[in-house]
Amino acid sequence: IEEFFEKRETVDPEVRAYVGSLVTAVGGTSIEQHGRYVLGDDVIGCLKDLRRWIKFYDEKLGRLDVQRVLAESNFVKGDILEILADWPEDGKDNKLRSKIALLCLELLVPLTWTLEVEDHEFTAHHHKHLPYLRLAQVGYKRAILQHDSKKILRQLVRIALPAMAEPKNDRSIRDDGIIRLVLYAIRNVVMITQPADLPADVDEIEISRSKTIDAFYYQDILQLLLTVASSMGDEFTIQDVVLLEALFHLLKGIDPTRLFMKEDELIQTNTQELKELMRKEKAMHAGYARYAPTRHNRFGTMLWLTRDQERVSTISGQSAISGPAKGLQYLDKSKKWNKPKTGGRKANEDKGSFEFDMEVPVSSSARRHLRKFVEDFLDSAFNPLFTHLRRSIERELDRVLEMHKMQYFYLVSWFLQAESSRRQHMKQSAAAKGKQKAGQQPEEEGFGIIAGVMNKETFVLLNRFMQTSYDSKDWHYVNSGMKCFTQILLTVQQMEESNNEEDQEIADNIQNNLFYEEGTHTRVIDLLRNYKDQGRGYLNAVTELAHVFIRMLERYAKQNTDMQIRSRRRTRKKKQAAQDTDTTAPTNGDDASGPEDVGRIEIISRERKFDFARFSAKFMQQGCVDTFVEFTKFYRDLSVDQLKRAHRFFHRVAFKAELSTLLFRVDIVQLFQNMIKGEACIDHDLSCFKEWEELVRQLFKRMIKRVQEHPELMVEMLFSKIPSSMFYLEHGFDKEVNKSA
Amino acid sequence: PRLPEDLVNIDEQVEIKKKKRAPIPKLDEIRLTSAAGIPTLQRISKSRIKFRGKGHEFSDVALLLGTYQLWLHELYPRAKFHDGLAIIEKLGHKKNVQRLRSDWINESKSSANLGSDSN
Repeated sequence: IEEFFEKRETVDPEVRAYVGSLVTAVGGTSIEQHGRYVLGDDVIGCLKDLRRWIKFYDEKLGRLDVQRVLAESNFVKGDILEILADWPEDGKDNKLRSKIALLCLELLVPLTWTLEVEDHEFTAHHHKHLPYLRLAQVGYKRAILQHDSKKILRQLVRIALPAMAEPKNDRSIRDDGIIRLVLYAIRNVVMITQPADLPADVDEIEISRSKTIDAFYYQDILQLLLTVASSMGDEFTIQDVVLLEALFHLLKGIDPTRLFMKEDELIQTNTQELKELMRKEKAMHAGYARYAPTRHNRFGTMLWLTRDQERVSTISGQSAISGPAKGLQYLDKSKKWNKPKTGGRKANEDKGSFEFDMEVPVSSSARRHLRKFVEDFLDSAFNPLFTHLRRSIERELDRVLEMHKMQYFYLVSWFLQAESSRRQHMKQSAAAKGKQKAGQQPEEEGFGIIAGVMNKETFVLLNRFMQTSYDSKDWHYVNSGMKCFTQILLTVQQMEESNNEEDQEIADNIQNNLFYEEGTHTRVIDLLRNYKDQGRGYLNAVTELAHVFIRMLERYAKQNTDMQIRSRRRTRKKKQAAQDTDTTAPTNGDDASGPEDVGRIEIISRERKFDFARFSAKFMQQGCVDTFVEFTKFYRDLSVDQLKRAHRFFHRVAFKAELSTLLFRVDIVQLFQNMIKGEACIDHDLSCFKEWEELVRQLFKRMIKRVQEHPELMVEMLFSKIPSSMFYLEHGFDKEVNKSA
Repeated sequence: PRLPEDLVNIDEQVEIKKKKRAPIPKLDEIRLTSAAGIPTLQRISKSRIKFRGKGHEFSDVALLLGTYQLWLHELYPRAKFHDGLAIIEKLGHKKNVQRLRSDWINESKSSANLGSDSN
């Protein structure tokens, strides 16, 4: 009885009664026919009614009551899937059954549609049902993936086959809609995941990405996706964004570089990683054991730490005996107060199903299937799909949402990375074979299969996307844009290194395009400089972009000494400028462009010679250094590559640009000291430890010397430096120019 | 029996006295520039620190960090080392602190010039 009342309160009882009776009338298992599912007399009417209920009650009134009732009555697993499974293979021309199947699909799609918590249209009704329905969807997914008698997904595809077989021009709007509906069903199935904030009803592995990929392989869904993608533009048009979403949710978070490793190689890397982790753990324990108490915990040591003016602090605990540094650490640890952290990080990091910075592990069978799929995709479908998508985005069609752009750029970066690692592995295996056969230069494949995104139009689109999402502070979008840009740069680099002359020429042209606009350069700097609390994935992306960009530009500028760039800047007419310099300081005049000035400002673009030294000097500012320091703070979790990235940057700042003063700040010094000598230092066996140690040692040497010569640096080390005093602090004398001025 | 009059009488207002909290000391520019702040640090940096020089970079830096930590503990015992550093770094962006900072640099500049002249 209690349960009855509970149920009564969640949903309007009348709705429950109506929908419940409809569900019962759809059909059921029959005892007479050995447990087979038997359709109800008016199954079509019932299904249509249910569709109407969802549409006109749930959607129109902004409720989820019908969905809730359907979830409670086990409608999907008990009825829809049974009906679909019971649809016989040979009955192709059984009109009635295919009509019922279509109706089932039409019900299945809204029932599996994702329910995002952040949806702004959600009312109290929605939030009441949300947790229950999200868990129910997990159940749906599991039932769909592993139905015991039939391949459900394949049956779904069968619904769309007649429509897909029709040539594009003969297809009716309804046919196109059916194809889209099937794709939506597939997307929904991929997208459903165990909500992290709710208790797990079923084993999470049963609905994991690996299982999904496996099921997709066995039920030929991957084949379907490939077919639709490869004839995108010819045979299919309006299905592009649905396909994009399905692919995005299928691939996000999976590491493309791992996909192409050979089995033994992967095992090797995995063992290597495990070894690494165990060594790390051991080192961690050792670090603790070095200062761990050697006697029992009530031994009661008490120490005085003498400070100046004969004042002392008391510290208890034996480990403080080992030295003043340890004692000071104890002093610090005993403090209770913490500086309140500014909020906002949470909001930026938590984006639910769109999160792609979280790595998703895949099982070895899923990896094998996915590799085959990705290879085929790159060979046949990459160019048509992505060219078509780019055009759709450019035309700003109604079906293209802002979110799709983000997914587009993420997938471009993903596939570029996959392609590059495939290339690398082909080279390796070719080299291994070459050893056996001796001689024989293997023929390299061209870069034609990814040409669809390596063109000017894409770059323009990407630049605009990055700028707009940066301006509107959609950091997640900026993140995907940066990833894409980085991958494009890396691909260009590979093209340049290939021994095909045509590829080299193309690469050169692309670089010209990329580096020609000064806007691109300033954007990279701005992105790096303005990092604040956007999360670690973003931090990784922004530092990688800066790293790759600087290095490539440096190389390119060296090779092309007469490189030109186009800069656009706002200038006033000469008259105005003259007046300004007369009246106010020039710096103020530049900034203050009030609305009345706008008319007098014009944008001029001109070309000038590119100067790498000047460009890299722009990176040597506090904001950029702070971002990299923020990145380095995670040094214990960073990979060797990431540590190297940070190392190169600091090296550039301190020794190439002669601006080590920027790094002379107590918190940075403390970080570096901890990295090398602290209790939780970088693993000494790591390849990059030596490099880091050398860098830090040189830096410290300079600092000590500087402090001895100029004790005023002691005070300045507390702060970020003021630009005007930077030069003096670095060199110990004022700039000559300043003196004459 | 009736309740006695004086018990029922609740018309009289009870005055609630709000106790003022003791203000939490803040690490602000006033404290930073007070005698225990930057001037002490300047004094320490000129007199007390003895570096061992070449070959002892890391121990020298440990000494330096220890000096800062003790100084900060004297100045503002409430904060942990890195919290205190973050607060001070932020204070360094204020206009008047910046003015003071360039003053300190200029001071040492001129004294250095005098020193070199006398030599």
